[in-house]
Amino acid sequence: MNLLSTKRAKFICLSPTLVLYLVFMVLPILIAIYYSFTNYSGLGKAEFIGFQNYSRMFSDKLFLVSLKNTIIILFCSVFGLLILSFLVALMLNKVFIGNVLSKAVIFSPYVIAPIIIGVIWGYILNPGYGLLNSFFRGIGLESLAIEWIGGKTYTPFAVAIVFAWQLLGFHSTIFLSGLKAIPADIYQAAAIDGASGLQKTLFITIPMLKEVIIINVVLIITGVFKIYELIYQLTGGGPSHLSEVLVSYMYFTVFTSRRYGYGMSIAVVVLICSVIASFAYIRISSKKGNQ
Amino acid sequence: MCEKMKQKIGRTFFYIVVITVTFLALVPFLWSILLSFKTNSEIVNSPMSFPSVLSLDNYKRALETLNLSKMYVNTLILVITSTFFSVVFTFMSSYAITRMTYRRKRFPNALYLFLLLGLAVPVYILLFPIYRIDSKLGILGSYTGLILPYIAVNISFNTLLFVGFLRNFPAELEEAAIIDGCNLFQVCTKIVMPVMKPTFITVILFNAIYIFNEYPFASTFITDTSRSTLSMMANMFKGQYSMDYAGIIAASIMIIIPELIFYSFFQRYIISGMTEGAIKG
Repeated sequence: MNLLSTKRAKFICLSPTLVLYLVFMVLPILIAIYYSFTNYSGLGKAEFIGFQNYSRMFSDKLFLVSLKNTIIILFCSVFGLLILSFLVALMLNKVFIGNVLSKAVIFSPYVIAPIIIGVIWGYILNPGYGLLNSFFRGIGLESLAIEWIGGKTYTPFAVAIVFAWQLLGFHSTIFLSGLKAIPADIYQAAAIDGASGLQKTLFITIPMLKEVIIINVVLIITGVFKIYELIYQLTGGGPSHLSEVLVSYMYFTVFTSRRYGYGMSIAVVVLICSVIASFAYIRISSKKGNQ
Repeated sequence: MCEKMKQKIGRTFFYIVVITVTFLALVPFLWSILLSFKTNSEIVNSPMSFPSVLSLDNYKRALETLNLSKMYVNTLILVITSTFFSVVFTFMSSYAITRMTYRRKRFPNALYLFLLLGLAVPVYILLFPIYRIDSKLGILGSYTGLILPYIAVNISFNTLLFVGFLRNFPAELEEAAIIDGCNLFQVCTKIVMPVMKPTFITVILFNAIYIFNEYPFASTFITDTSRSTLSMMANMFKGQYSMDYAGIIAASIMIIIPELIFYSFFQRYIISGMTEGAIKG
């Protein structure tokens, strides 16, 4: 393709993407890192304070609470959502009437704006008039009618449920395409050797899906670091910031209490966590792209 | 006979599971539709009952409170412009990465990996820095101030898909066309784009859905209510209308239903595209 590779053609093709990427992706990260070492509060000059913002996090109760909540959602999602979406994929991998419809319905929440999902689920999780508690009270399970949102304890678990509802279809479709890629003759051979259904799942399906499992885990982890709207809409971080996650707490420190320097140091921590988790994913996909 | 019975029971049990799972996925939508016909006091006082009268009052009130049609127009302006430019720009750069020759042999792959790094960045951390950049550039609060970061945020995903496709697609046809006298633009529009149609559809849908649903940038940067997008609806009900539960849910339904109709038309492309995009790269 030498004929096309003039300097001018290369410049025209590459510069719009590069300029936008540098100005609105790379530069903002550098700005965030820069401010994370200052005590900038919007007025006057930003003063360089070294690692003080970072060391302050460990004594900041609200930061630790939001870290704890993020980890709870992370664990619930990595285990709950991962297993559920695997089971749903096994279900959708069977031939049955209504397969396409069922898949389309289960996938549909994925395309809805998270902020609207927050609105809808507010009416389901509301401890007073929400669907969930009204249902539990209706069937006599009063003890299960807990403070799903707005209380001190359960919000991160409730958020994990909403998150799972929204992403179940997405992750099970990823599993599904992995399942479809497993050659059928392996199962036939195993059946001849007398393997049961459960044995086939445990010793063939799951090992063969290793890469797909990694992709799903990484996408779930990075997905959890993108939860903001749900918290904002369900509880607003309250009561008194007890249901905050890292991203929403960062938003609060920056845009509400205007501690830009400190907020940016939280942003950098979130970025580092997300980059570490994504590293495996990018390696897998770039390896595949090279093939 | 016994074996057959067993199969039948297994089959029935399987269908019960399928119906339950599918129904559970639907419940939040059905519940919202039900609520959107109830009055505020019905919602709070008798949550499990059906609406006593089936009226469209909530929808009327939502339309009076919010200028939904204006919000639709605003959102579509953002979706169409940002998607158009991000698809065109990233296609151009992906083409340059995969097809053009460079003096430094490793440059294209290094550039590709560099552009992929954005996949790992949670966009929320960019909010404040981009807020600063926008205000320095004098575009804070304008559509341009949103469109440019929207394009930038989509670059990594689009590059992943475009480069992934182009690398697996032989360049011979294009080379022949160049020898026949086609220029770069003609090669792209007449030869490459037609074969890449499915990839283009995936990228366009992915970008469009992201921007349609985008909330943090829009709500942080846009202060002029005449520029509000659909995702900012929930905010506008805060304050004086915060107790109007029925109005909020009716407004939500009016945003969700068109989106779900759109989804049902493109469902096949969306599901396969989005998941394959995640796996294959």
